[in-house]
Amino acid sequence: MRRLFFQPALVAITLFLCLSCSDKQDFNQFDDLEITPTVASSIFYLEADETHINDIGSFANFYSQTVDFEAFNEKYVSERLLEGKLIYEIENTTSKTLNFTIEFLDEEGDILDVQVFDVDPTPSPLLILEVFYGPGDKNIDILTNTTSLRINGSNQSDSTSVSGLSEPKVRFKSAAEFIFRLK
Amino acid sequence: MRCSLCLFLAALFGAQIICAQNKQLLYDFYEIPQSLMVNPGVKTMEKWHVGIPMLSGLAFQAGTSGVTVNDLFADDGVDFTTKVREHLIQGMRKRDDFSTTSQIEGFNIGFRGENRPENYYSFGMYGETDIIVYWPKDLAALAFEGNGGSNIGRSFDLGDLSLRGEMVNVLHFGINRKVSNTLTIGGRAKIYSGIFQFQSINNSGSFRTSQGQNNIYTTSVTADMQLQTSGVEEIVNILDEDTGTTQKDLASLFIKRVLFGGNLGLGFDAGFTYQLNPRTTITGSILDVGFIHNSKDLKNYTLSGNVNNEGISVFLPEDIPNLNNNLWEDLVDEIEEAIPYEENEKGYISFRPVKAYGSIRYNFGEGSTFNENCGCGVNAQSGGQNDAFYRNSLGGQLFLMKRPRGVQAAVTGFFQKRLGRGFAFKTTYTADKYSLTNIGLGLNFQMGPVNFYVLGDNLLGYQNIANSHYASLQFGFNIISWNDN
Repeated sequence: MRRLFFQPALVAITLFLCLSCSDKQDFNQFDDLEITPTVASSIFYLEADETHINDIGSFANFYSQTVDFEAFNEKYVSERLLEGKLIYEIENTTSKTLNFTIEFLDEEGDILDVQVFDVDPTPSPLLILEVFYGPGDKNIDILTNTTSLRINGSNQSDSTSVSGLSEPKVRFKSAAEFIFRLK
Repeated sequence: MRCSLCLFLAALFGAQIICAQNKQLLYDFYEIPQSLMVNPGVKTMEKWHVGIPMLSGLAFQAGTSGVTVNDLFADDGVDFTTKVREHLIQGMRKRDDFSTTSQIEGFNIGFRGENRPENYYSFGMYGETDIIVYWPKDLAALAFEGNGGSNIGRSFDLGDLSLRGEMVNVLHFGINRKVSNTLTIGGRAKIYSGIFQFQSINNSGSFRTSQGQNNIYTTSVTADMQLQTSGVEEIVNILDEDTGTTQKDLASLFIKRVLFGGNLGLGFDAGFTYQLNPRTTITGSILDVGFIHNSKDLKNYTLSGNVNNEGISVFLPEDIPNLNNNLWEDLVDEIEEAIPYEENEKGYISFRPVKAYGSIRYNFGEGSTFNENCGCGVNAQSGGQNDAFYRNSLGGQLFLMKRPRGVQAAVTGFFQKRLGRGFAFKTTYTADKYSLTNIGLGLNFQMGPVNFYVLGDNLLGYQNIANSHYASLQFGFNIISWNDN
């Protein structure tokens, strides 16, 4: 009975297995997998019209604020951040000479880095600046240790001039584009 | 050893879903009692049969319609990340999938009615696991490439996430009746006991980062996504516990659910065999028309809403009253509020994957004595009046299956030969949208009352099993009585 039972079974299954072959495989390759997506996001946008800047007065800060900013400081992010850039674009259609300052602050409030922008009055071209972080560029730790940003916008000229353009304003834009190592 | 490992991996990575539950070799192979499980209206020849408990029907199928094990893990010196990018991220389509199906019969018994010999009754119990994960193409691209760089402006489809899996125990009872000399019909009632079930289907939404209206980029997310689970939470809790009784607790839970302590459901199969003329027969069946009402051990996860984000935005002088230093936190809260991630324990109904078969068979070759020795008087006819009279059969089969992303089909051509009562084989060629090289072979041995069958699919794939899209093996033992002697 056992012979009746198992012999044909063994023959058939062995036949399948014996006929099967395979090219050499290396499953340790999985350790070499690198997943490094590029993540892009806007960070901060400030818009101020000329009337407001004039109302604040000459040679004065029309915006000054410290905002918490822990996008890069989150443990999951900071451990995986490889390199990238911060992108700034400033569009000024006011008649004012302006200045923007961004200070990167750590948990103790110490300044890790400062970015300064001097903006000419209209007509002036769109100011674009890309600041790179990572090997060979600014230290990535500046970003991973940043917990807040101190942002200042100041009028470096009078408080009476008026732009000839309609709805004159200054627009400060910023975004980040960074490479992370997910694996 | 290498072959065994590859066979195992091929079983994990193996088959195209179009074939994942297609039992084209077993279908209408009526010398095997388990053919009743794929067509309850199949011609039955035996007087009674008893499957060897736990060994009467074992089927393992698995695969992928896209990448193969060899594509990724061949020891060819190519950078692994490059292979993943080319074969998975760029090579796989959203309709491609990974799937696995296994079925183990607990018991299977059939007998012909004493008073109504035209009826053949069968009943039994089997466990089935069926998991399908469609390739989440856009989500994988988002994870691998990110939303930046050249992907600015690209809309990632969140609906690409589609998966479904379940383990069920099925108690079934079927009646097969020979209505006339030309027509046999059958039906099977099923009670399902769900051991676990999960599904994330009918998701929709998009993730897109593009040039912003105010700021440099705007990120838009629209999501209507849901993952429903039943029976999973308790298993996960047991696995998470560090009590040293994990195995015992799991076994206890498993037994409870196998014995209808799980989520219950109902379903049926139906089928027929119709002899157009002594040489030509058509068959058809529909299987697993049923559902499970998931009401126990539930945990569902939802992500629903839409949001546009351009970062922290300050408009002067309008926002002067709102200025504070929690702007980042406020932004995160605003996003979480607009597109909340939530959990609930609502019951739901899950439908079984309905399958349908159809076939046409042409018989030829000299008559055999197989039928004349059969004690199943109701099917015993003389000479060419019965298709079992012929030694050879040639035909075609169609297989359809309802899947989360629509009906999938396979077409099969087959040749079957019987060498007396002791041996029959069936060879198939199956074509589908993924493969044109699937050749299968089924062998059925009858030694006295002992029946053994083994069915192997995609035999050409065994030349390099790691490069196979599909691996399938079914086998089983039965005791069959053909007559009273």
